[in-house]
Amino acid sequence: MSIVLEKVLEDIYRGLEDPEFSEAISRSVSNAEGKHLRVKEMYPYVEELRLQVLEAKKKALENIDYYIDQLARSLERNHGVLHIAGDRDEAQKILGDLVGSGKLVVFSKSIVAEELGLREHLESLGNRVWETDLGQLLIQLEHGRPMHTTAPAVHLTIEQAARLVREKLGVELPSSPEPEDIVSAVRRFLREIYYRADVGVSGANAVAADTGSIVLVENEGNIRLVTGYPPIHIAVTGIEKIVPTLNDAISYALVQAAYAGLFPPTYLNVISGPSNTADIEHKRVYGAHGPRELHLVLIDNGRRRALLDPGLRDHLRCIRCGRCQWECPVWHHTANRWGGPTYGGPMGVLWTAITLGKEAGAELSMLCLGCARCDEVCPMEIPLSMLIRGLKRVYSSKI
Amino acid sequence: MLDVRSILRILADNIKRTGLPVPGDQGLLTSWSTGLGLSEKGDTILYTGGLYQLLPYIEEFAEYLEKLEGGKAGGLLLKAAGRLGRLANLSKIVVRPSREKLEYSRQVLVSIVELLRRAGVEIAYPGGVDSYSGVLLYDMGLDTVFVEHARRVAQKLESVGAETIVTVDPHTTHVLRKVFPQYVEGFAPIVKSYIEVLAENIDKLQFKQGDAGRVVIHDPCFYARYENIIDEPRQLLRRAGYTVVEPRRSGRMTYCCGGPVESIAPRLSRRIAETRARELDEAGGGTIVTLCPICYSNLRRAYRGLGIERDIQDLSILLYRRLGP
Repeated sequence: MSIVLEKVLEDIYRGLEDPEFSEAISRSVSNAEGKHLRVKEMYPYVEELRLQVLEAKKKALENIDYYIDQLARSLERNHGVLHIAGDRDEAQKILGDLVGSGKLVVFSKSIVAEELGLREHLESLGNRVWETDLGQLLIQLEHGRPMHTTAPAVHLTIEQAARLVREKLGVELPSSPEPEDIVSAVRRFLREIYYRADVGVSGANAVAADTGSIVLVENEGNIRLVTGYPPIHIAVTGIEKIVPTLNDAISYALVQAAYAGLFPPTYLNVISGPSNTADIEHKRVYGAHGPRELHLVLIDNGRRRALLDPGLRDHLRCIRCGRCQWECPVWHHTANRWGGPTYGGPMGVLWTAITLGKEAGAELSMLCLGCARCDEVCPMEIPLSMLIRGLKRVYSSKI
Repeated sequence: MLDVRSILRILADNIKRTGLPVPGDQGLLTSWSTGLGLSEKGDTILYTGGLYQLLPYIEEFAEYLEKLEGGKAGGLLLKAAGRLGRLANLSKIVVRPSREKLEYSRQVLVSIVELLRRAGVEIAYPGGVDSYSGVLLYDMGLDTVFVEHARRVAQKLESVGAETIVTVDPHTTHVLRKVFPQYVEGFAPIVKSYIEVLAENIDKLQFKQGDAGRVVIHDPCFYARYENIIDEPRQLLRRAGYTVVEPRRSGRMTYCCGGPVESIAPRLSRRIAETRARELDEAGGGTIVTLCPICYSNLRRAYRGLGIERDIQDLSILLYRRLGP
């Protein structure tokens, strides 16, 4: 996919001229900016967890092949199945083969699934696919793109959200609805779908190599249903999410929630294999109340190449909390219109460089102010502004 | 839409030809010092890096770009100028700063010199050495041109053998202190912002007695986050009798004025400046104090665009006004 700076700017200017877009972003920023500091003030141990995760990520990234092997063995022990996809096409093929066609599929929010175009791909195979995270569902309904990593519908006002839900889901809402009315209508709509779904697709906040566990953090409760109700659960995630131990993986999810400003998280899910029971004659049977199959699809899609590149390597530590977006003056005015087709803001520029190539990231880098607010807040101490300046060099080498 | 690579080509070409990002000569950088009786030689020298002097020109350029950006001809005109090598002609159209803006830049530098003198700092100004630092090249990733330029600047600076180089703006301070040593082998002088030097000698500065009113401080990103110069301007303002009002997003987490993208995305830059201008306006203080010529220019432009009347002054001007007899 080619990205051209001038085209990105055209889109940004469309956003600047849209008062509803600007107003929605501005409202969210005033609620979210600096929120991680309040979390850390109330729960000072978050700092210890942050340092633990930072070390765990460094260790895992330096020995990625070792930890992938360990993860494969751990998952096998747990009766889960590991798949490895080199790129977008391979990931789509794996998902296509696992799901087939004519199925009902529910997605919890996964930015990696967005990166790989998985929802659209499964739809193209004749499956009915529903997003279940409220924000992500709104994005699906408007045929749009996530505008923030943890808050994908940040650009929509309540009026716009209500219009989408009314028109696209055909549900009734009061004439001036409150957020509660929309949430309640969507809950009613999705209940039946969860119950009938054949496959649940989730992402993963972190993956533990030593136990083969997938850790997921959430507030809505949709991840519990997506990963717990359908008979097949497929988790899709990047190789950089692997950390050595389950202890690290749980800390990872907690730090992500703290820096997202949503702490304590309402739910923390640990999934180490298909559901099972040994209640009858102590013989283990897989497929109890939850899924009978668990598949973990690990994605490379540029990540290994980035590991070898000093200009991108550090960014693989990113835990995608979205904190840099909440603090970035450019993002405050553009949301994810700046950063790439999937990811946005300072971290987005670098994820775009990792997943779509440095040339693509370079086009976006030129809009970075270099103000370093992102560097100040990044829990993984990624020198974002310096890495982005490295991409500017790529851009400017072609004048 | 502007063609960004053409803008970068114009910038790089200007610097290669004249050493400055806009057309002009050395006089543009040094004329402010005429009649101040500054010595050419000394252990401590002033190096302005030219941002204050160049800013009126850069500002005009940015305004011109914003107008171009609005029309379809913008990209084509820039591309044609780049291709035909008529950069000087294009620049002549662009650069016509007002007398008022030029005078303000001069006053800032004169005030800085007077403040340093009153603080007991013997400062020399080898005018022939003063030059543009090349910071814009660095910021835009034009590293090849930057490195050549930085070597020339460093050579000139080293030729005068000064122990300490005093700078006047955050970008020049950062580029000289942290960036030059990475690119120019052996370049390791002591580099200090005039604000740090004044704070070190604060007890020697005699200010007028009495309340000087409230000022809202706007920390520049490069001082606050790159150079950790946060307390010093506050100490100086308080000593001069001002009450310092902190806006939302101040100190270490200060907010950008939008300046760094003004030549690439003028409308985005302006919106960021307007956001900042509004929050400074809402801080409940009086005059807004800036410590960087880019912030000064961008915020001033933002207030004009918003139709808000707000007094903005450079730190040096506010401190100078309060100097005692």
